[in-house]
Amino acid sequence: MLNSVQLYPEKSNDELLSLLKEMWTIRFFDEKVDEFFAKGMIHGTTHLCVGQEVTATGPCAVIKEEDKITSTHRGHGHCIAKGADINRMMAELFGRSTGYCKGKGGSMHIADVEKGNLGANGIVGGGIPLATGAALTSKMKQKDEVILSYFGDGAANEGSFHESLNIASIWNLPVIFICENNQYGMSGSVKEMVNIEHIADRATAYGIPGKVVDGNDLIEVMNETHEAVKHARDGKGPVLIEAKTYRWKGHSKSDARKYRTREEEQAWKEADGIKRFRDLLISEEIVTEEAADNLRKEAKQEVEDAVKYAEDSPEPSIDTLMEDVYA
Amino acid sequence: MRELTYVEALREMMSQEMRENENVFLMGEDIGVYGGAFGVTRGMIEEFGPERVRNTPISEAGITGSAIGSALTGMQPIVELQFSDFITIAMDQLANQAAKLRYMYGGKGNVPMVLRTPAGSGTGAAAQHSQSLEAWVAHIPGLKVVQPSTAYDAKGLLKAAIDDPNPVIFYEHKLLYKTSSEDVPEEPYSIPLGQADVKREGEDVTIIATTVMVHRALEAAKSLAEEGISVEVIDPRSIVPLDEETIIQSVIKTNRVVVAHEAVKRGGYGGEIASMITESEAFDFLDAPVKRLGASPVPVPYNPELEKAMTPQTEDLIRAVKDTLNRE
Amino acid sequence: MAKEIFMPKLSSTMETGTILQWLKNEGDPVEMGEPVFEVMSDKINIEVEAYEEGVLLKKYYEVDEVVPVNTVVGYIGEENEEVPDTAPAGEEEKAEEPVSEAIEENTLETTTDKTDTSKVRATPAARRAAKEKGVSLFEVTGTGPKQRIHQDDVHLHAEEDGQQELKASPLARKWAEADNVNLENVEGSGPRNKIYTRDLTSQSEQIDEPERVPMQGIRKVVADRMTESASNVPHVTLYSDIDMTEAIRLRSQLQDKMVEKTGYKLSYTEIIAKAVAVTLKRHPYLNASLNEEKNEIILHQEVNIGIAVATEQGLVVPVVSKTDQKGFTELVKETKQLGESARKQQLQPNQMQGGTFTISNLGMYAVDGFTPIINQPEAAILGVGRMKETPVGVNGNIELRPMMAFSLSFDHRIVDGAPAAAFLTDLKHALESPYELLM
Repeated sequence: MLNSVQLYPEKSNDELLSLLKEMWTIRFFDEKVDEFFAKGMIHGTTHLCVGQEVTATGPCAVIKEEDKITSTHRGHGHCIAKGADINRMMAELFGRSTGYCKGKGGSMHIADVEKGNLGANGIVGGGIPLATGAALTSKMKQKDEVILSYFGDGAANEGSFHESLNIASIWNLPVIFICENNQYGMSGSVKEMVNIEHIADRATAYGIPGKVVDGNDLIEVMNETHEAVKHARDGKGPVLIEAKTYRWKGHSKSDARKYRTREEEQAWKEADGIKRFRDLLISEEIVTEEAADNLRKEAKQEVEDAVKYAEDSPEPSIDTLMEDVYA
Repeated sequence: MRELTYVEALREMMSQEMRENENVFLMGEDIGVYGGAFGVTRGMIEEFGPERVRNTPISEAGITGSAIGSALTGMQPIVELQFSDFITIAMDQLANQAAKLRYMYGGKGNVPMVLRTPAGSGTGAAAQHSQSLEAWVAHIPGLKVVQPSTAYDAKGLLKAAIDDPNPVIFYEHKLLYKTSSEDVPEEPYSIPLGQADVKREGEDVTIIATTVMVHRALEAAKSLAEEGISVEVIDPRSIVPLDEETIIQSVIKTNRVVVAHEAVKRGGYGGEIASMITESEAFDFLDAPVKRLGASPVPVPYNPELEKAMTPQTEDLIRAVKDTLNRE
Repeated sequence: MAKEIFMPKLSSTMETGTILQWLKNEGDPVEMGEPVFEVMSDKINIEVEAYEEGVLLKKYYEVDEVVPVNTVVGYIGEENEEVPDTAPAGEEEKAEEPVSEAIEENTLETTTDKTDTSKVRATPAARRAAKEKGVSLFEVTGTGPKQRIHQDDVHLHAEEDGQQELKASPLARKWAEADNVNLENVEGSGPRNKIYTRDLTSQSEQIDEPERVPMQGIRKVVADRMTESASNVPHVTLYSDIDMTEAIRLRSQLQDKMVEKTGYKLSYTEIIAKAVAVTLKRHPYLNASLNEEKNEIILHQEVNIGIAVATEQGLVVPVVSKTDQKGFTELVKETKQLGESARKQQLQPNQMQGGTFTISNLGMYAVDGFTPIINQPEAAILGVGRMKETPVGVNGNIELRPMMAFSLSFDHRIVDGAPAAAFLTDLKHALESPYELLM
């Protein structure tokens, strides 16, 4: 139980600790991936969410297991937060047959439909209409499921964003649009690409609630998402939540980050949401520093184990090339 | 002569054109200080400023539509789409607007725009960032489609594309950006669209190959020469308009033809080229069925070995050439 | 529209025709029905008439060229009309008219169509090469998948053909060039007729060049048909010497009247033909033919005797239809006229069709008997040798009688020895008592 802050969803201390560990897992996972790409051990490309662990973990922490998410090209965190097995994720990045997509999808296309993860998406804004459609299913079949649709500030300028919000609004669909505003499209600063203060302000245009939250404050993210989910589950329609966050690393593997300053990066790093939550749990005496460190080590070890699992996994057979394709 | 990479050749041509012609400007996602997803526009914002090197939101339909509008009203925009897969998002603007405006308006108005975009697999970018969708646009009357395979061709064809009063889809290839030509002149030059290039002369079999396949065809030709098989390699350079005559004359000479592209074979442009050959006077000179090589009908997989298995490689070209010769 | 002139198919067995002469030049006006060129078929020479009026625009073939039937040999049309520079490819052989089919069925030969190559598996380039080099794709071995013929296969075939004609050692070639000897006229003694220097030596000693006559027209047809019959049909030949005493008497008694009535003499051929015809009515299996495709024997109702006639071009067989029903007057007239037409090469195709039995008479030569080859698809052929006075035993005395040598070759598939012998015996009786023929 937290005393200094109010948390709307009920969470036991163990649950709070596991959220802390999950965020560390996300961070170590992507740091590891970064290392492998730098060493050329993994081919293709990848997009890292280091610095955005809170916006991945928070919303997923307040939905039910049967609820669903759609993700983005920067989706490792969402995937882990929705309960994915990091062994199979790492195997996918290694292109192995044990990966979530049997080595056919790679970083940008990890999905776990059974666990309610409708997939990462390589197309900016590509997941937003999918989430809207999934919400339509929930409504028509009265499944009481809520869909979380993650996307970035860049995607808010795609036609798919506008069209989907309008459709979800007029049909009162149970979908939460979560804009992880990490300040940059690829190199395009949101300040240059959008002429309003908050992406969330666009909600007004579609007649739905729009909320702005601090993407480094796990409690606030959980609280606002909790309220939005309740709103949606009550049949009141979609909500747009904009979480202000920051991608610590470049857009993808080869980004000199010339479009922003190192000072700006440093400032955001100091506002690290994981550290903030860790400090809160220590100050609330839910965990000792030592126990927290052990938790951190465990997360790190699990990522190492995932690497070993991936490395030991077999390459897919060339015979699988034509498997699983539509006609 | 100067050695220049494909990327440098493109950048040089755009820069030279922008210095000469104030109507020419660039639009695209991350083409500013980032320099474009593949660094093609690197340094250009520093020279020409953000007015003429316009960093855009992630709005492919919007960017393409704006380019069409500006072209219709006197500008000559060059749009960069980060990956040619995103042409699907811009498709309505290209197919229903750019391609048709002049015709629908009874011959009034031009759309002198160039849409540059990288295609192709081989980078591990998987299903949504590796496609070769040139057949989609080639199918639409009103769009010209260019596919340079070398730095030299890239510069000359880009000049022709910019000067062309029609919308031109200019397909670049990710794997070719870092390749270089040894003989790229500094002064601007134009290679007319619809003029194929015989990249290697030969007697026994003609390979018609586009973009990255040109290089695999040349490798195959080199290897086959050691076995006494003489291969002619033709690069159409633009598939719309297509230089039919050069292809026909080559087939009349060699009697055998392999058509190779990286795009999926089913419905690929190779089928169009093959049909053109059999409908032409070259038909009576065919001594083997026209052989087509293209990717398997499957989304581009991520695993590098699967990715390679999907697209024609040098060995596949060698095999195909031998097949047309009934050789083991 | 310019109209094609085709090489006509003048008989069921005609595959090619030789152009004997063009009666019009390119640019000449042509009336409908006017003869345009003369062609020699397997059996006859005939003038081909125009079906169109206009101008002869194009002649694709020269005199002496052999052209497949139904091939376009030229065009008639309006002046300056455009026509192809080279002869268009031959059409598929057209089906026989249904009306004539019934009549011709008996004589129709079953031959594989060797002109339609459209179903031969060959590449377009191979077809073009075959056309250019005049090679039949049927003769080319394909080396591609499923025996597909490629261009090189055609070239190789043509080369081998060429080499067969002119295979010579390099030294022989040199000598030939020095001595101005045409290698085409040299018989090679080596393998596959390869010419060596020793062949040139014998050549130079030879003073008279042999004359080389191309196998074409009637000669070619006779050759093909005889080969086919001799190699495919099991022949058996029966011999019988027949006493012609009474036949001579009959002939001399009718002779004056015959000349008076017809202007022709009654010859033994007609007497024999009549005797054969009457006898055949009682021996249907000798007046028969075999349809191999349907595996059936056709027993003909009509007796139509073919009479072999030697001409300069070769053997032809005009047919006297319904021979058994004709009196001597009619028979003589018809036989003589057919013979004259044959020698003048003016026989019409229908005058050579419908035969059911053939007589080959070499009686005017010093021939005492021979084994005739059956005129396919008939069942039998009668060979007639010379008549000579021969001592024979008659009622215990030796008498000299005019005996004639007959030989009957029959197709043992259709008929056996005993019935054939019975026929020959009956024929002997008929000729030895010829007055019964007048009944």
